[in-house]
Amino acid sequence: MNQPALRIVLAVYVALFIAFLYGPFVVMGIISFQQGPEGGPQFPIIEWSTFWYQHVLGFAPPTRVAPLPIGQALTRSLTLAFATMVVATVLGTLTAQAFRRNFKGSGFVFYLVVLGMMVPGVLLGLGMSLVANQLGIQRTWWGTAFVLHVVYTFPFAFLVMLAIFNRFDARVEEAAWALGVTPTRTFRKVTFPIIFPGVLSAMLFAFTLSYDEFPRTLFTGGADVTMPIAIYGTFSVEIHPNLFAFGVLTTLFSFALLTIYGLLMTASVRRAQSRATGIQEDIE
Amino acid sequence: MVLEGLSKSYGDTSALRDVSLTIEDDEYLTLLGPSGSGKSTLLRLIAGLERPDKGTVQLNGEDITGLAPHRRGLGIVQQNYALFPHMTVFDNVAFGLRWREVDPVTDEAEVNRRVGEMLELVGLTGFEERAVGQISGGQKQRVSLARTLVTQPRLCLLDEPLGALDANLRERMTLELRRIRDTLGVTFMHVTGNENEALGMGDRMIVLDAGSAVMIAAPEQIFDQPQTVRVAQVLSAYNILQGSVRDGHFEHGGSHLPLPPGSDNAQYYAIRFESASIVPPDDPSVLMRATFVASEFTGGGVTYFLRGPEGVFEVERHLSRADPQVYKGGDMLGITWNAADALAFGSDGVLISASDMLGAA
Amino acid sequence: MSAHETSGKPGFFQRNKSYALLAPGVIWMTLFLVVPLGMMVYVSFWTQTTFAISSDLTLKSWQTFFASETYFGALMRTIRLWLTVLVLTFIIGYPAALFIGQFVRNKTTQTILLVACVIPFWTSFLIRVLAWRPMLGKEGAINIVLQEFGLIDAPIEVLLFTELSVIIGMVQIYVVFMVGPIAFMLARIDQSLIEAARDLGASGWTIFRKIIFPLSLPGVVVGAIFVSVMVLGEFATASALSGRKVNLLGNIIVTQVGSLKWAFAAVIGVILTIVMAVVITLLLRVVDLRKEL
Repeated sequence: MNQPALRIVLAVYVALFIAFLYGPFVVMGIISFQQGPEGGPQFPIIEWSTFWYQHVLGFAPPTRVAPLPIGQALTRSLTLAFATMVVATVLGTLTAQAFRRNFKGSGFVFYLVVLGMMVPGVLLGLGMSLVANQLGIQRTWWGTAFVLHVVYTFPFAFLVMLAIFNRFDARVEEAAWALGVTPTRTFRKVTFPIIFPGVLSAMLFAFTLSYDEFPRTLFTGGADVTMPIAIYGTFSVEIHPNLFAFGVLTTLFSFALLTIYGLLMTASVRRAQSRATGIQEDIE
Repeated sequence: MVLEGLSKSYGDTSALRDVSLTIEDDEYLTLLGPSGSGKSTLLRLIAGLERPDKGTVQLNGEDITGLAPHRRGLGIVQQNYALFPHMTVFDNVAFGLRWREVDPVTDEAEVNRRVGEMLELVGLTGFEERAVGQISGGQKQRVSLARTLVTQPRLCLLDEPLGALDANLRERMTLELRRIRDTLGVTFMHVTGNENEALGMGDRMIVLDAGSAVMIAAPEQIFDQPQTVRVAQVLSAYNILQGSVRDGHFEHGGSHLPLPPGSDNAQYYAIRFESASIVPPDDPSVLMRATFVASEFTGGGVTYFLRGPEGVFEVERHLSRADPQVYKGGDMLGITWNAADALAFGSDGVLISASDMLGAA
Repeated sequence: MSAHETSGKPGFFQRNKSYALLAPGVIWMTLFLVVPLGMMVYVSFWTQTTFAISSDLTLKSWQTFFASETYFGALMRTIRLWLTVLVLTFIIGYPAALFIGQFVRNKTTQTILLVACVIPFWTSFLIRVLAWRPMLGKEGAINIVLQEFGLIDAPIEVLLFTELSVIIGMVQIYVVFMVGPIAFMLARIDQSLIEAARDLGASGWTIFRKIIFPLSLPGVVVGAIFVSVMVLGEFATASALSGRKVNLLGNIIVTQVGSLKWAFAAVIGVILTIVMAVVITLLLRVVDLRKEL
């Protein structure tokens, strides 16, 4: 489609659209530099300062503003996300592997798994609370919340691996079998190394989803909170610009992580390409 | 190996129908089949990658029909070579030796030795550390071959091994494959859709068509005496004319063609492209008239395409005999051949051979 | 050759290999997804008194819900809000997706644009929701900017702590889920189709109506499903941006659980589930998704 007028209109539209997406982030960034400790989380900026950053990082002198209850919550979130990532990816890979053959009931299993990402957190959280109450199980972030995190992220990992396996050429596996290598070992030595980049994507997906997960954890997390819950706790209490400073910092941190991930992937892709192009020689 | 009554269908389509075959030790067996004939299915059944609906596969007297592919001790070289992209040439070739279930070779020195020997045999010494992406098609094929043969299978299945190579390479690989096989004494089962390949490389040849094995014999025999019309068609070397016998002649589109002795009930008449020659239309030896359509120069000869009374007629003329004749489109020409060179097939498509007649008489 | 397996049927393990692989995932989902949901349905029929709950079955909680103006109203409000957000995300998101999927030819630029849309997600969801407050308030960024440009004289008051603010917040957060799938489907359209239509003399609008839009429909449905699921289950945005004025079904569940009114919360949960099931089924009627995947 090359109608130039339409193109320009749409381009402008997309620019505005992206500005719309970033609006709150920009505002958040600006307010994070609000004067502290009296400044509130709104305009106008009384005075520019990095006070709140210091506050978040624990360097500021004590004030009546309580520090964000994030310390332990952050660690818990990271641990939970890591564990979820591992379990969800394993389940996702196993299940996608099963889907490489047609089998009876494949439609049913497919929808059962995908259901996990469709059901809103509220409902699942509620249901799990009820079950926990009924069975007398305590609600913990590493127990009841963890299993729900996996229920939520496993379908995503599954879909990613499904797409990866779709593009995978099964003939190298057949070649390995014909050489006398058992299917299990073939998976370890041949299949897995080849699908590994896909596995990494699935892991990244699962980690990200679990890290920021909120509604399910709200109901099932128990007394020790994860980071999103800790933040939610500040909703009803006064909020201060330190929250925004924290937001900016975590965003930059995620940005850094993803940049590193992107660089690593590009580097490995480039390395693989240089092996693939290379000299075409004649047969002697 | 003995294959008995193998049948396989996919949904409503039947890929293989009741195929039976005996494969001997130390032989080069080729299998010729046009696309859709079921040749890939047959290979996959033998290798154990799929299970037959009916029939059995036996190896050395043992029924292996239900045996998983990694336990059969066979080798397969696939059409796309299927090399492991994340390993070097050496690791590819060594893979089977190192990681197979039965008798893996644990001594690295031994692995080194055998891989080295095999690479030498296929002519790839010095390529050990190359990445799979860095080698040419012909080299990939030889790595695939080496990888399979180093595990010393009793039977090696090759699926269109020369298909992806250019003509020059193909010629050289033809000789290479025979040499390698003779050296190792492994049975090769070489599957192809290319009739020249199949004819040229095998000690024995099978013609597969529409899921059935229609003829199993030595290549020369298949070529000289195709058992059925279908085999003759698959060989792409015969003109096949339909008609009926009348007054001791084979009548086809108004032409009277001389019959081989004893073929009174023939309905098909076949004459090889190279057995026919073109003569001026009023020459007394003319058996059939046709108009010239086109000619194709093939290096060592010329193929002439003529339009006969009922379809295209091909004549091949080797240039070792004389200079090519040039014709114009629409020229009326005559075709002649030796009656002794013609073959006749009955209504069931089966060859009526001279020995038949001796029996009948 | 060692380990003999005589002829006939494949070994037990081989035949059931698919099932063995599926078992962990299916068991996990059954235990931790199906059971909790089932429990929710079950509990919705329990008897709830002010301080206790017993498993005697009754329809009382259900009756309370439908009889009550507040609660039934919340259901209507939730549906209304969902529809509004859905339509808005579609209207706002589609042109953006159209640009990215059809007008940007360079693959890298496409990826960059999509990544640019995703970056805001790296800030924690809750913080992003909160960030709308200083934007929408009386002295908020939007009002300041508009007044600065002389577009309005007095600050717009309805921006914050109203239903409108909830809508704005939700649209901004969820519109990306529309753009992504639609852009993906649009990018997959074979350019030669469009060129052929052009050659045959079709106008831009016809091409859009007859080729581009229908082909993008699976993406629209996927996007609609994502947005619907998220909006119907929402409570945080409503709570943060409306100052308790807007009560969605999600909010009610949270408050009911807070007061330990489990049976009632379960009723609302079941109702929400039904609404969502209906929505998804309707959406899936539009396009057979499994084929497209």
